[in-house]
Amino acid sequence: MGKHADSEKIAKALATLDIHDYGDVLQCMRCGTCLPTCPTYRTDGIETQSPRGRVAMIKAVIDGRLPASEEFIGHMYHCLDCRNCQTVCPAGVKVGELVLEARHRIEENRPQAILKRFLLNYAIHDQKKLARYMIPLKLYQATGLQSLIRKYDILKLMSADLEFMEALLPPLPSRPLSETIPEEIPAVGKEKGRVGFFLGCAMNLMFSEVSRASIAILTRSGYTVVVPKNQQCCGTPNIAEGERKVYREMAEHNVSVFEGKRVEAIVTDCAACGSELKAYRETLGKQDRVAKKAEAFSSKVRDISEFLAIALGDDIKLGSIPGVVCFHDPCHLRHGQKLISPQRDLLRRIPGLTFRDIPDDGQCCGSAGIYNVTHHDRSMKILEAKVAAIDKTWAERVITSNPGCYMQLQYARKNWGKDWNVSHICEILRLSLERGDQE
Amino acid sequence: MKSLFVQKLEELVGKSKVLSSETELLCYSYDSTPLISHQPDAIVRVISEEDIRLTLEFAAQEGLSVTTRGSGTGLSGGSVPVRGGIVIVTTAMNRITEIDADDLSVTVEPGVITADLHAAVEAENLFYPPDPGSMKVCTIGGNVAENAGGLRGLKYGITGDYVLALDTYLIDGAKVHYGTKCVKDVAGYNLTKFLTGSEGTLGIFSKITLKLIPRPRTKKTFLALYDDVIDAARTVSRIISSKIIPSTLELMDSVTINCVEDHVGIGLPRDVAALLLIETDGHPEVVREEAAAIEEACRANRARTVRVAKDLKESEELFTARRNALTALARVRPTTILEDVTVPRQAIPEMIATIQEAAKKYSIKIGTFGHAGDGNLHPTCLTDERDTEEIHRVEEAYDEIFKKAISLGGTISGEHGTGITKAKYLPQMVGPKAIEVMKRIKNAFDPEGRLNPGKIFLQDME
Repeated sequence: MGKHADSEKIAKALATLDIHDYGDVLQCMRCGTCLPTCPTYRTDGIETQSPRGRVAMIKAVIDGRLPASEEFIGHMYHCLDCRNCQTVCPAGVKVGELVLEARHRIEENRPQAILKRFLLNYAIHDQKKLARYMIPLKLYQATGLQSLIRKYDILKLMSADLEFMEALLPPLPSRPLSETIPEEIPAVGKEKGRVGFFLGCAMNLMFSEVSRASIAILTRSGYTVVVPKNQQCCGTPNIAEGERKVYREMAEHNVSVFEGKRVEAIVTDCAACGSELKAYRETLGKQDRVAKKAEAFSSKVRDISEFLAIALGDDIKLGSIPGVVCFHDPCHLRHGQKLISPQRDLLRRIPGLTFRDIPDDGQCCGSAGIYNVTHHDRSMKILEAKVAAIDKTWAERVITSNPGCYMQLQYARKNWGKDWNVSHICEILRLSLERGDQE
Repeated sequence: MKSLFVQKLEELVGKSKVLSSETELLCYSYDSTPLISHQPDAIVRVISEEDIRLTLEFAAQEGLSVTTRGSGTGLSGGSVPVRGGIVIVTTAMNRITEIDADDLSVTVEPGVITADLHAAVEAENLFYPPDPGSMKVCTIGGNVAENAGGLRGLKYGITGDYVLALDTYLIDGAKVHYGTKCVKDVAGYNLTKFLTGSEGTLGIFSKITLKLIPRPRTKKTFLALYDDVIDAARTVSRIISSKIIPSTLELMDSVTINCVEDHVGIGLPRDVAALLLIETDGHPEVVREEAAAIEEACRANRARTVRVAKDLKESEELFTARRNALTALARVRPTTILEDVTVPRQAIPEMIATIQEAAKKYSIKIGTFGHAGDGNLHPTCLTDERDTEEIHRVEEAYDEIFKKAISLGGTISGEHGTGITKAKYLPQMVGPKAIEVMKRIKNAFDPEGRLNPGKIFLQDME
């Protein structure tokens, strides 16, 4: 949790919170509609683990009725930021965003651990650098670096259960996708248009084959795909950890690399990236200098399913994939981007495929960025509930579209002996397209 | 540092069940009632009857107050521990222990969520009709304690009409079982009926047996739009006087409709003055007949349009409009104060006129919606708790509204309970003798006044 916090400074910083930007904390009626939707309330069953409780705590700190103690700070980090509560809140209170704002004000007012600062401010900045730090994760344990890092009370990420982290990791590609694809990949056949492609860090570094499939589907659908060089992290990890300065630099950089590329949309196959890129219009929007550019950028951002549901023409034949599948909605897709139908529409178009809904109204899988590392036990309980809901569909394959969810579900499959497989939606779409072409 | 009493409590019931940190005390200091909060000294999340008994015995030794709480969705302050003490949370006692499909009853623990109960019995083709607005969140224990109503109240009645038997813990830790699965049971005073709606001031329920009925076979839903709210109110009277009891008969006024449009946008015309959402259910033949009569009643009272839902999906959409009412109203101003005055159905037009006049007189915004079919209205004031002057005007307006409801032969609370918020209106409503009897009853159950203190009766009267 970092170092000792200055409770008074944090309380002061929270007191100036522009609460109107976050659906006004006063707007919370305390009606409790959020309770049954909140993963942490569902696992713990107590009010401090609920959205209603989090709003009450923030309000009490603002009003000076509750100190901004370590206990309070802990509660601000117990939230998964899944935003399920924002989907259902009758009064429109943006609890997830409010919690992130509180984290930001907390982090501004307490000393930052060295490795955390390094990761958020430096490593993440450049995917080439990040690639260098990612690959030797396994070495990390063997070299004795672990004890050194632990000694300095560095980021929880590093002091956490490495076995779990290693179990999460997919087989890593030898080189990131960004190093192996050209900046422009032409459309197959007649060009219908040009789209930009945003390379998320996790997709680029760990799931490069999936993103290769995504790009192949786009070109096969008649779009020339532009992948600007030197893209940076979308900033989700920074926002989640309360860091805003480097976030802004990276966001402005990402907006600039897509400028002048003459693309009608900026597509991403990572739900978390999509959600954050769409938020640039708000997070960058307060500075006149970049407000317009951010608005233009965000208005073009499309999740891959959102784009393909319209762009994948009827002229393109999809081949049969017999079997039963369900779709695990990444929170950043269903609650962050309010997208529910495009991914379902796409799956229903695949001949032979039976689609079933997971009967839990879009519950989080517990991955939530690094939550499964920082709050491992609760994350596993949330995952257990998710898996139980998945099992009710009798699906042979769980489809999703976010790398964090993908790894979390794979972990459940491998370690809990589940007989379903996990795929990104673009993996199954590419297979269907290939079969369609063969037929 | 934990106080000595918290340490003793932890030793007694187990550490994991006791909550007492500063954030925990804060988060159990309120329910859904605006403007009211008070922190307890400790919270016990009971998981068994034994936990309830141990906690009550401990509270008796220490002379502490005890307040029972389910999900904390109450709207009259019923579960706010206004005198501190211990809060007993029942949400972890959430097992459905028996669905008796042969004798049509269900037995549950108090922490079962109402909507979960619906799903469980409907899977057996049975029906538990009470459906309070918060049914996805609230608990059966709270429903019984507040005698909760809902949208289906007019045809099917309210929670109290379904309670067959109760296991109840008294303040000293003793347990009373009263009631059977028999629909007919007149042994002694009917404690089941009596404890239902006692707002947690007489006992704590640990087991609840509820009556079930067969699930209705079919239903039909209408949406009628009006240019004058009085015409809508007259339609309600006409339907009832033609001896038809719909399963749902809901009203929304123009303030509510416009808020729905501003914030949700479901395509209702903005110039309508009111709408009615009507549903009839039961045997297909009966539904067909009633539907025709309802449509006729709407048209005879100058409904601009009457839309009939083609199928279940469209019916769901129409209900969404109604469920969005509070949603939309809540977004307008920071504080939403929802009341539940109820009047005889012929008096609805006059009650609505009074609400509109009060809003105008005190320059405040009130949206009205509610269960017109049973006379239960929800005048909802959109205000800001930071503006003490405006809050004062709101209170004055509600004073007039409550007074009028009483004079029309109605009640200050149809379904939310007296709690704290309506305690001051209760003497006007029932008179001094009834208050005295109620206090004697309270005294018989709880002579030290430690069980949910500060509710129902005005503080100076205790």
